[in-house]
Amino acid sequence: MPGSSTSISKIQAGGGRITLSSHGGKAWISEFSATYPLKLLSPRLSDNAVAIVYVLTYGGGLVGGDCIELTVNVESATKLLLLSQGSTKVFKDRPQQRLASVQRSDHASRSTPGQASATLQNMNFTVSSQAALFLLPDPVTCFRSASYSQIQTFHASKDATLVILDWITSGRKSLGEDWVLSRYYSVNEVLIAGKRVAKDVMLLENNEFNSDSRLNRSLAEKLSPFACYATVILRGPLVEETIVQLTTRYGGISIMQRKAPEDLLWSLSSIGSDKENGVVVRVAGKETEMVKDWLKNTLRSLEQHIGVDVYRRAFV
Amino acid sequence: MDDETFLLLLLSDSNLPTGSFVASSGFESYIKHGFGGDQNNETIMFMRDSISAYARSALAFVSDTHRIVQHMRRDVEQGSEQKSDFDKYLQRIKEVDELYDVMTLNDVTKRASKSQGVALLTLYSKGLTPPLTTTGIKNLKETEIEVNSYMASLVAQYKSLVRAESAPGHLPICWGILTGALGLTSERSQYLHIFLHARSLLSASVRLNEIGPYNAQQTLLHISRSVIEAEVVRCKDLQTGIPLNTGVAGTESDQSDGSDHIFRGPANTWPLGEILAARHDLQHSRIFNS
Repeated sequence: MPGSSTSISKIQAGGGRITLSSHGGKAWISEFSATYPLKLLSPRLSDNAVAIVYVLTYGGGLVGGDCIELTVNVESATKLLLLSQGSTKVFKDRPQQRLASVQRSDHASRSTPGQASATLQNMNFTVSSQAALFLLPDPVTCFRSASYSQIQTFHASKDATLVILDWITSGRKSLGEDWVLSRYYSVNEVLIAGKRVAKDVMLLENNEFNSDSRLNRSLAEKLSPFACYATVILRGPLVEETIVQLTTRYGGISIMQRKAPEDLLWSLSSIGSDKENGVVVRVAGKETEMVKDWLKNTLRSLEQHIGVDVYRRAFV
Repeated sequence: MDDETFLLLLLSDSNLPTGSFVASSGFESYIKHGFGGDQNNETIMFMRDSISAYARSALAFVSDTHRIVQHMRRDVEQGSEQKSDFDKYLQRIKEVDELYDVMTLNDVTKRASKSQGVALLTLYSKGLTPPLTTTGIKNLKETEIEVNSYMASLVAQYKSLVRAESAPGHLPICWGILTGALGLTSERSQYLHIFLHARSLLSASVRLNEIGPYNAQQTLLHISRSVIEAEVVRCKDLQTGIPLNTGVAGTESDQSDGSDHIFRGPANTWPLGEILAARHDLQHSRIFNS
């Protein structure tokens, strides 16, 4: 077809691409494509330096066999805020349910015992010099017997800013779901100027390993009394202030013997030995709302970089 | 008694200078933060979750490092070692070590891991190599002498890398080096590592007044054992994903199938334990370092 761009990449079912470019101080989305069941939305903004993209799935959740592959490029001096609309719900492991006939990727077609219809989200992010990526989705909720894997890889320049939030809740309280998922696997790998500085791998599984029931520890028992666990990776020029605030706050905490756990606990650790590489924050809360409020308040200084109105869209 | 059994007895001596005495693996923080409860089985619950989490996060690093050292031993035994391979092997161990460092995003755990790691390397150099005077030592075959000398050189060089801060020197890796250098099998090395983790935890529990000394032994014998065994079996075939062969002719490829290792690799399986371990330093008063 005459005039078609040969640089448009071929995408498969659940595939997507976002590229945010800048020209003369204005940011614009130069690449924006998604295939069912992935859906991307980008509202128009008045502030031309920050773009927002909502990453959604048709049906409001992921079902067995779904494989989402998203490639995101945040080019120099641009800022991208990635959000979701509501918690990413992962449904129970069942034989393939989508009706679409779009070509499925190799992963989804491959049938491994025990993983035949698990869901997978694989995302690759490139964040260039003086650019910023704010990945602030709603938490993942795995329903009973759901099996979910998520692999997120971040390639950032030395002076890029990253705010990566990855969190999970215990299930549908109304149905009494308390960590009854089958498997949750999440990887966040961060490379700065080509060098790997962090690889956070979280695996939550409910499985019986032993016939001795006394020694079986269900996920609910291991994670009790918290219903929500979050991990936040922060690094780069735009979050220096936030990191200083966090470090000061953390240093001021002093724990005396307690009779029972607090409602919310958080920890702070550095990434690597180089100050430039940022911090990892982990939060656990008895209720998701508590964690959400904590995150919203803690990251509030982002308002000065993306604006109050834009920040308001996160942690709705 | 065979060599291996004697080594196991020696390595499980609680007087072994490994620096594990000051580590509670997050147990002190767990109790201080109010997770004790009042049912008198906190120790068992913590032990169960801690062993499981530690095995899943660390065993692959122990076994991969051990395998590299075994390759080196075999090279020497077969008379095929070369200086250039030695450097490549060192480099591989360093890569495994660095991966553990970037996967352990917990300042307290890393600190404890590094101090115990370097203690193990020192233990080998100062405590387990043959003494300079040879009186009383049974006659060693020439290959044994060569292997010992090669291993001593490996440990010495790796320790220099750690001192120069160009390798982290984490506990699971150093344990793999130590047990590989001593000629222990991989199975024994993994099992003993988890056993020592369990024992150290019970010892911390006694010092924290959570259980009595007899109760601790009873727990170790009758309860911990099945947990240790189950977790070692579950994690013994995990791999870090770092290719272990050095491209040297004769070494088999150890690299697992690319996508496989994603799910069959090390992982953190207990986020609560992670947070409490990291918060260790926030305790107003504490008797352990971690």
